[in-house]
This record gives sequence, structure tokens and C-alpha cells, in this order.
Amino acid sequence: MIAQRCDLKVLGRVQDSHSLDPIAFANVYFKEAHQGAVSDANGFFEIPVLCQGSYHVSVSHIGCQTRELYMTVKHDTTILLELEHHSQIMDELAVAASAIEEATTQEIMVMDAYEISQNADKNMANMLDDLAGVSTIKNGTNIAKPVVNGLYGDRLILLNNGVTQSGQQWGADHSPEIDPLAAGKITVIKGVSALAYQGSNLGSAILVSPPKIDSEPHFHGKVRYFFQSNGLGNGLNIRVQKHHQKFAWSLVGTAKKKGDSRGASYYLTNTGAVEGDFALQTEYNHNASLKSELFFSSFNAHLGVLRGAHIGNLTDLEEALARSEPFYTKDQFSYQIKSPYQKINHHLLKWNTAYLLNEDHKFDFTYAVQWDLRKEFDVRRSGRSVKPAMSLNQTSYFTEIKYKGYLSSDWEVSSGVQLNRKDNYNEPGTGILPLIPDYISFETGLFVMASKKSEQFSFELGGRYDYLDQRVATISRDVVKEIKRYYNYASNMGLAGGGNYLFSNGMNVSYNLGLASRNPGINERYSNGLHQGVSGIEEGNPDLVSEQSLKNTLALGGKINAKILYEILYYDQAIENYIFLNPQNEFRTTIRGTFPVFKYSQTRARILGWDLTSTFLFSDTFQSSLRFSYLKGTDTENNIPLIYLPSNNLFLNVKYQIPRVGQWDQMAFELYNKYVFEQKNILSDQDFRSPPEGYNLIGVKISGERQLGGNRLNIFLRIDNLFNVSYRDYLNRLRYFADDLGINVTMGLNLNF
Amino acid sequence: MKNFFQVKPLVLSSIFISLITIVSCSDDPEDPIVENEEEVITTLTYTLTPSEGGSAVVLTYQDLDGDGAGEPTITNGTLSAATVYSGVLTLLNETEDPAESITEEIDEEDDEHQFFFSSTITDLEVVYADTDGDGNPVGLATTLTTSAAGSGTLTITLRHEPEKSATGVASGDITSAGGETDISVTFTITVE
Repeated sequence: MIAQRCDLKVLGRVQDSHSLDPIAFANVYFKEAHQGAVSDANGFFEIPVLCQGSYHVSVSHIGCQTRELYMTVKHDTTILLELEHHSQIMDELAVAASAIEEATTQEIMVMDAYEISQNADKNMANMLDDLAGVSTIKNGTNIAKPVVNGLYGDRLILLNNGVTQSGQQWGADHSPEIDPLAAGKITVIKGVSALAYQGSNLGSAILVSPPKIDSEPHFHGKVRYFFQSNGLGNGLNIRVQKHHQKFAWSLVGTAKKKGDSRGASYYLTNTGAVEGDFALQTEYNHNASLKSELFFSSFNAHLGVLRGAHIGNLTDLEEALARSEPFYTKDQFSYQIKSPYQKINHHLLKWNTAYLLNEDHKFDFTYAVQWDLRKEFDVRRSGRSVKPAMSLNQTSYFTEIKYKGYLSSDWEVSSGVQLNRKDNYNEPGTGILPLIPDYISFETGLFVMASKKSEQFSFELGGRYDYLDQRVATISRDVVKEIKRYYNYASNMGLAGGGNYLFSNGMNVSYNLGLASRNPGINERYSNGLHQGVSGIEEGNPDLVSEQSLKNTLALGGKINAKILYEILYYDQAIENYIFLNPQNEFRTTIRGTFPVFKYSQTRARILGWDLTSTFLFSDTFQSSLRFSYLKGTDTENNIPLIYLPSNNLFLNVKYQIPRVGQWDQMAFELYNKYVFEQKNILSDQDFRSPPEGYNLIGVKISGERQLGGNRLNIFLRIDNLFNVSYRDYLNRLRYFADDLGINVTMGLNLNF
Repeated sequence: MKNFFQVKPLVLSSIFISLITIVSCSDDPEDPIVENEEEVITTLTYTLTPSEGGSAVVLTYQDLDGDGAGEPTITNGTLSAATVYSGVLTLLNETEDPAESITEEIDEEDDEHQFFFSSTITDLEVVYADTDGDGNPVGLATTLTTSAAGSGTLTITLRHEPEKSATGVASGDITSAGGETDISVTFTITVE
């Protein structure tokens, strides 16, 4: 037996994985040795005395995702450690490559695991809300949908682990059925045409991807816990993983519970929520060229809806509008969730096999099944509140075969075939005629993309074709109910091209142009009935035709004196046959009173805007960021504004970092300010109530990390709406009834073990 | 490629099977079950019987297609001046056969319901003649009193889950009642 040497020296350098710039004040820690070091201005560090052995090493730095690795030290060793900055501005191509494997010239923003953990208390849409150009359509505190450059619902693709999310995305009051805490990364593509993904879209996409299982032979995990004062919410998220020789697995579970939220001066009664999710990820490496993955995730939630927002006819709405505090507001907090509420279950089973023919050719096969169950409960007579007023059950089966390869060293080609079958079914027993009919749809799609890259210039071009066969069985609303069937066939086409040029001074310019089409959604064609919330009768139009979009984006990014990083995106989208809910010059008299009537109609629309993101690095420890989004939508046929688009908004923060205080390192103090402008681009007769005034929210955050034995602990304390401002947001559908959220203090713990 | 096709029959057959699952099911959805809309109220009848005898005045509002575009059928009425009537409300769901009485449902849940009456006719008064378990009015039974001759409208509103304890609600003032409107009908009335 050889005596263990304990005089080894480890030298190293920490650098940015994209720019290769040195990272100063990074913390490098060898867990088993209880030894650490902080990198100097040139990124260098030294562990002077270390024994032979294997070590878990963590590398952390403010603004970077903590990296964990496992290494064996036998001799004096020199190592190079790379960290990825989770700044929103990075070299565009590098980000693209790391974010979605396929590099693209289209605009991309990434929310990584670190940022997700720092916002663990929020749902998916609210997490993305602070990104430039991303807003949320809310239905109170628990229900939120992302809006990217003015597009949401069926116009925006949501990709969960590579599979287009199949659920009831058409509803403005339907949240995405995805647990963001199971994700390792959320990518927002502000694009012109999402060619590689099946499903209706007019350009932009949100990709939710699980983290890669670290190639780490030991059992490891992460625990995240948060507490929020507003709603007295608690959440726990645990991830464990292990990587064997050929087989790797990870299991993640989330549990969240909150009670009634509070506006600035009153409780928002019945806004509690409970959520329980888990995901199992396994991967098997058959050999160097064949790898299979099996993934199962389950999302389950009960989401309460403000009681005072459940109303009857137009008179009820007018009464609600006139009140300063909603009806049914209780002066006591409660965890109880009563009607109205939503009960949602979404499960995804996915199998993927990737085959590497050689370094230049890769084949990829995916099969996925999704089960989506949505039940909505209303306040009803004679004990019927326990029966769902709507009960939808959707199952979809998805198959994809993809190829990616290199024709030469700089030409990359990818292509794929996708098939999807969707079976949407109303569970009987609601006692109410369904809002959305039963249907079965088949979608077959094909895409081809080619891209060329050189150091300075990259270029891409691609096309997509989808054929949709939809069979619908509706029920007429006449006195004698009849079943009426519709057969729809539609072809959706997408074409996109773009280029990116990197100037020698580091400035990056990219331009993209894309065509996309979207067939009318099932709700736009066949929905029929009363929409609670806004007390209007919504009527679908079976004769709607497909929307056609032409979108241009121009992005400009770069650095000024290595102190200012900036990125500007300008977009201009023209949509022919834009489908929207058009208020009719008609009030319908029923035994329940008078209701306004809304019909799905089509017009010519134009949405243009620009997003600015910039960071000012005053020093290594002091920085400030500014983001601004401007958007304007016009119905160019009638020359009036498009309703229901995000207000302009401005986000500003300053951040001061302290590399080390006692046992704590990576300390950061952050102050932010969010200003949302009043939506002025709307006429007074386009809404029941004029848009709310602009509002300004101020927040603070303190965070820090420390070593706790062999584990790494991150703690943060965040206060949102510090001054408890009373405000309402134009895109919150409950703004007719109640204030938005008041002050909220969130405390979070993240432990890596 | 040769190796791929030899070694991975399992992978290939699975691809094949999943394609079959998708393509072979190109069928139509089954006939949907037409829900029995038992909660719908189609018909309101307000029967006014003069307390000193005589034939009753019957006001009816019938809306058979619910939220559909069909116009409701309204039967208005003529009342005598300076007369006291006892009023009885009945509600029906005529989409069912035989028609179902909704009056019973309201009666069973009387603490969660209240009718409100308002008229543009001077001195036409409607007073509650019934109470729920908590001693608050319901409005299925009322007393209507006319005074001078005139014409105008009578509006009857049914609220589900109103705040019965709110100011003025017990005496028939709808202003602070809140709740969800289940019925809101207006009759044209002549008093002569």
C-alpha cells in the first residue's frame, strides 16, 4: 500500500465559458478537504496543500450558475474552470448554441437554473415577466400566461422538454400546466417563425428544458424551500440524481401551498392555491453512439379564483366596477379554496432515442403522450358547485423523427417529420353544455432547415409544412339540441431566413424575416356561451380562415468600452386575417338579464415594437441594468388599436456585490424598480372600463452563499412592492374587480448536497 | 448504418408501432352526450291575486333557449288602482320534460337567494311576505299594493348568494346586495 501524499498543489483559472474573460472573486471549494480559495483579478486561484484523493468541487460566482464537479487529484494539478454567466446579454450565437443546441440567428433569452431558484415562489409565466418583451396575461394571482412580443395562447409555442405542450392553451384564463422548478432552463425565442416545432404559432416560442443529469457517480441533490408572506405560501422542491456507468436518473418533486393573497388594503378572498408535481428522468447510454431517455412528469394544481369576480349579467359587472373593494371580501385570511376554482392535471410521458451515425450525422426519435385534464368549478345552485362546470379531457400522441448533420464543416442541415393526434373530450356530468366541443385532430408536419456559420457571419434558411385534419362534433344551442359535425382541413406553412454578422468591434447585427400561418383555434370557431368574469356571450365563427403572418426582426447588440452591454430588438409583424373577439353592437336579452355579445372576427393587424436590454458595469462589484419594452398593435383595416396587448414597461435595477463577508460569500444587494405605463393605445369604447393608470413598483433583494459542511447553501430575501402600492394591471382580467398584489416578502433557501 | 438496422430492431419496431397508433386512429369523435341543463331557468310566473277577491293577474316571462339568440316571450298585465295583491313567484325549467320546478330549489336554499322588486310606477309597493331560516326575506311570496293609476315597468331580480345582512337588503334595496344575478326580467304594467 502506498502512503497517501498530502503535499499536492492545485492551481487553476476561472473564466467565462463564452467570452473566455477571467472571472475574479470566484469561490472554489474542495468539499472533502474543507479547503477553498477565491480567484484573483486574473481569475487565478491556488489550493496550496491537498491530499491525494477524489473531491467534489464547487465553483461559484455572483451572476453565474454554481458549477459542481468531481475530480481525482493524484499529482500537482492545473485546472481550467469555466462558468456560464446568467446575464441576459451574452454573445448571441454562444447563447443560442447552449440554449437550444440548434444555433439560430433569431433572438433568444434564457432563464437558467440559478434564476429559476431565485424566483422559486413564482409560477412559470410570472418568472419570465421581467424579461424584456415578455409580459403576462393574468386571471388574478394564481393564473398567468406568458405573452411574448404581444403574442400568447395559440399564437405562441410552448415546448415542454422538446414536446409541444398539448392542453387548453386557447383560454386566456388557463395557465401553462408546467412546473418551472422541474426545469433547468427556460428559453424564450422572440422569433419570426418557429420552424422546428409542431403546433400553431406565429413566430415566438418558449422552451422549458429539464437540466442535464450531471455525470457524477454519487448520489446528489438540491433542496429549495421558499416562504412568501403574501398568501402565507410555502414551497418545497427537491431534486436527487445519480449517474451510473451507463444509466443515469434524476427525480424531482415540488409541493406548494398558499392561501388568500392580499392587495394593498384587502384580502383577495378565495385566491389560495395548492400544487404538487414530480418528474422522473432516466437515461441509458447503450454505447457511445446510441442513447435513450425516458421522462415522465406530472403537474397537479388547484387554483382558486377571486370570489368577487364571479358575476352574472351586465348589471352585476357595472356594480362590481363601481365598488372600491370586491364583493365577498372577507377580513380574514384563509387557506380554503372554494368555487370558483380550477383543478388541473397534466402528465407527460416521453421516450427519446438518439443515434449518432458518426460525428456528422445524428438521428433522433421521440414518442410522447400527454394527458391533460381541466375541471373548472363555479358557484352553482343546489349543491351543484361540487360538479365541474367544465370538464375537459385531452390526450395527445406525438411522434417525431429528426435528422441533423453537417454537409461540410460550416453547413449544417436539420430536418424532421412530426405526427400528432389530439383527442379532446368533454367529460359528461357537468349539467352545462360544453364551451369547447369534442374533437379529434391529426397533424402531420415536415421541416427542413439549413444554416451556414463562419466566425463572422452566420446564415439560416428553412421551411415547414403542416397538414391538419380536424373532426369536430358540436351541439347546437337551439331549443331542440342537435349534434352538428364539422370537418376541417388546413395547411399551415412557415418560411424563415436570417443572418447574423459579428463586426470586429464586437457589435452583432442580425436580421430575420419569416412567414407563418395559423389555422383558427377550436375556441375561435366553435366556442359558444357565457364567459363568467366579463359577463359576455362569446360566439365562435365556423367560417374563420387561417391567419397569415409576415414578421421582420432586427437585433443589434454589443459592448461599449467593456462597461456597457446592450441589445436592441426591433420587430414588425403584419398579420392577415387576425382573429380577435369583436364586441358586437348587440345586447342580448335573456331571463338572466342583458349581456353584451362578442363574436370572433378577422381583420388585418400590425404589431410592432422594440425591446432594449442593457447592463452598465460600473465596477467589478457594482452594476446596473435597464430594460424597456415598447409595443403597439393596430387593426389596420379599421384603423383602430388592437385590444389586449401589453403596456409599455421599464425595468431598472442596481446591484452591489460583496465577494466575502465572514463565512458568507457571493453577497449581493439589489434594488429594482418596475414601471408599467398606462395602456394609451385603446379607444374608450373598446372596453368596459378604461385601462388602469401606470404604476411603479419598487423591490429589494439580499442574497448570499456559504459552505455548510460539504454542502453549499444559498439564501435570499426579496421584498416585492416594498411600499405596498395599490395598483391594477391592464392585462390582469380581474382588474375590473380587485387590486393587484400588495407587499410580499419572500425568503428562499437553496441547498446543494 | 448497417449496424444500426441490425442491432436495433427494438427501436425500429417501436417507431413503427407508435406511428401505427397515431395514423390508424383516424376516426371521428363519438356523438357527444347532450347535457341535461337542469340548472337553467326558462320561465318566471308572477301570479297576483287581489286580496279582496277577483281574478288573478298572471305575468309570465319565458326564454326557452337560455343564452341563445331567440327572443323571450313576455306576458304583461293590467292591475287595478288602490288594490292589495298577494304575489306568488314560480320558476320552471322547461327544457326538461316534464318541466322541473326551480321554485323548490330556491325554497330549499332560501338563505342563499333573494328576489328584488322595483317599479317606475309611483307608489307601487312590493313587500316581502316570507322569510328564510335566519328571518331574512326571500321574495317567493310578496304583497303588492297599487295606489293611483299610471303605467310603467316592474323589474324582478333574483340574486344568488347576496349579502343579506348588508344595509337595506332586508327591506328590498338591491344596491349593496351583490351576488350573481340568476334572473332579471322587466314587465310593462298598466294600473287603471
